[in-house]
Amino acid sequence: MSRRWKRILIGVVATLVIVLYISPLVWLVLASFKNRVDLFTPTPTFIFSPTLDNYVQAFVTKGFTRNLVNSLIVSVFASAIALVVGVPSAYSLTRRSGKLLSAYLLGLLAARLLPAMVLVLPLFILATRLGLSGTYVAVVAAHLTFAIPFTVWMMRGFFMGVPKSLDEAARIDGCSEFQAFFKVVLPLTKNGLVATAIFLVINSWNEFLFGLILTSRDTATMPVALPTLLTPIGTFWGQIAAVATVTVLPVAVFAFVVQKHIVAGMTGGAIAGE
Amino acid sequence: MGTDPRTELGSASAALPRTPGQATPRKKRRDWAGLVYQAPSLIVLGCVVLFPLVYSVDLSFRSYSLVIPGRTGQYIGLENYQRMFRDADFGQALLTTLVFIVFAVSLETVLGVAAGMLLDRLRRMKRLVTSILLLPMIIAPLVVGLVFNFALNAQFGYLTWVLHALGLPGGDGALNYGPTALLALILVDVWEWAPFMTLMVAAGLSALPKEPFEAASVDGAGPWQTFRMLTLPMLRPVLAVAILFRATEAIREFDKVYVLTGGGPGSWTTVNDLYQYRVSFAEWDMSYGAALGLVTFAAVLFLAISAFRMLAPKEL
Repeated sequence: MSRRWKRILIGVVATLVIVLYISPLVWLVLASFKNRVDLFTPTPTFIFSPTLDNYVQAFVTKGFTRNLVNSLIVSVFASAIALVVGVPSAYSLTRRSGKLLSAYLLGLLAARLLPAMVLVLPLFILATRLGLSGTYVAVVAAHLTFAIPFTVWMMRGFFMGVPKSLDEAARIDGCSEFQAFFKVVLPLTKNGLVATAIFLVINSWNEFLFGLILTSRDTATMPVALPTLLTPIGTFWGQIAAVATVTVLPVAVFAFVVQKHIVAGMTGGAIAGE
Repeated sequence: MGTDPRTELGSASAALPRTPGQATPRKKRRDWAGLVYQAPSLIVLGCVVLFPLVYSVDLSFRSYSLVIPGRTGQYIGLENYQRMFRDADFGQALLTTLVFIVFAVSLETVLGVAAGMLLDRLRRMKRLVTSILLLPMIIAPLVVGLVFNFALNAQFGYLTWVLHALGLPGGDGALNYGPTALLALILVDVWEWAPFMTLMVAAGLSALPKEPFEAASVDGAGPWQTFRMLTLPMLRPVLAVAILFRATEAIREFDKVYVLTGGGPGSWTTVNDLYQYRVSFAEWDMSYGAALGLVTFAAVLFLAISAFRMLAPKEL
């Protein structure tokens, strides 16, 4: 009996701690439904009559729908290219060996440590000279600098889990090199592909610095457009909350629906999630 | 040797594929296929990473700006690198970054170990709690900065109200005073990333063998002793990777500071990346910015290599 009470007590304390911990995000979502009067009170208000004004203002009047579409375009293209280019590379790195390949692997690791601030400067100068500054091409190319090394390292872990004997068996059964990859090995790493894809999309979706420097008003993604609401004449907190909520929502859904994949991606596949 | 059936079998099967006529074309075809797999990633990364990086190295020996007239890329040798030693603002930014990393990552580690051990004990709630813990670190860092900018607003921030009610520092706007602004930046980072340590620790704990702990409890070891002598040493490799990951990320802190404090008040929260951003994109001193960036990258690489060697020698 006392053991059961202890468990219940732990549960209650855990719930309380978690609710307090996540309160800034709860506050953000609540704020997005508040009108100006409820928003700017010296004492926090919990009970208020909800309004959709902030969403209408931001997405209809101010054109944040455009930024939402931009975010979608950039993250989908960057992730798709990273997968197409990175997955075969990752597979090949687990099936072959040699000094050049291990050097390439180390180079990819170094690329993952490369600060965005170091790359954004030459990318900005080059994009400006090529007339690509402010285009989707520039920002997608910049996102590839972290997306490809991430894809290779993550997928490499999943391909290592597929025994080489399987490819060899497929070859003996008459598959070509590429058929063995596409028809036998790739389907076995479906979970890994899903986890990698989700992570790629989230990373591009959240990315700020490359977007800040390389996009223009027409191609700005959500994180880039958000701070424009912090103006010297006044900050539109209600609209910021609305746009931020829309930015956070799809990512938050992933955290609950495909939690295992996210944990796997977060821990870099170093530790199997669960 | 010939009497051992296993050796015979092994050598026989090893000899099988060595049929002279077949080996060479198949090897050639495999090499060709290898190139097909690697070429796309090599070409793309060559264009978007390697070339810009080399371009940046070249730029760091020049005087160049897209905006300032007269600075068209004249070769000035090591001047940009020598300038760093005289640049007091750069030194200040490095110091701020160091304080930020040391305090943020250590707090994250301590909290992560404690919370990770609690998370490991949860049963039915574990899945839900894990999902909630994922939120701070997978939402856009820029939004994290904005949320706390709002929550810590001097006039109507709800955290300001809480701090004021509790009589804590920051009750009149934490972001308006240097020391509390830096503390706020550190704590916001802890809020965002302590869950990462928690998940790493929980994952590490669930992979540990049960026997040593049972043996320890039979031998009458107390909880603190078990933690110090068993849990912590066995978690070492996981913690090493997690701390290294966090430290190399924290060096590049930019998004949150940009919207939380903008580097202020004064230069209290101007971390290295924010300083570089100002040099390159506010003062438009691009060649100096390139040199600063390359030195930072070298420092990150050095830190990563030496920390990994020191913390987890077995992994290398």
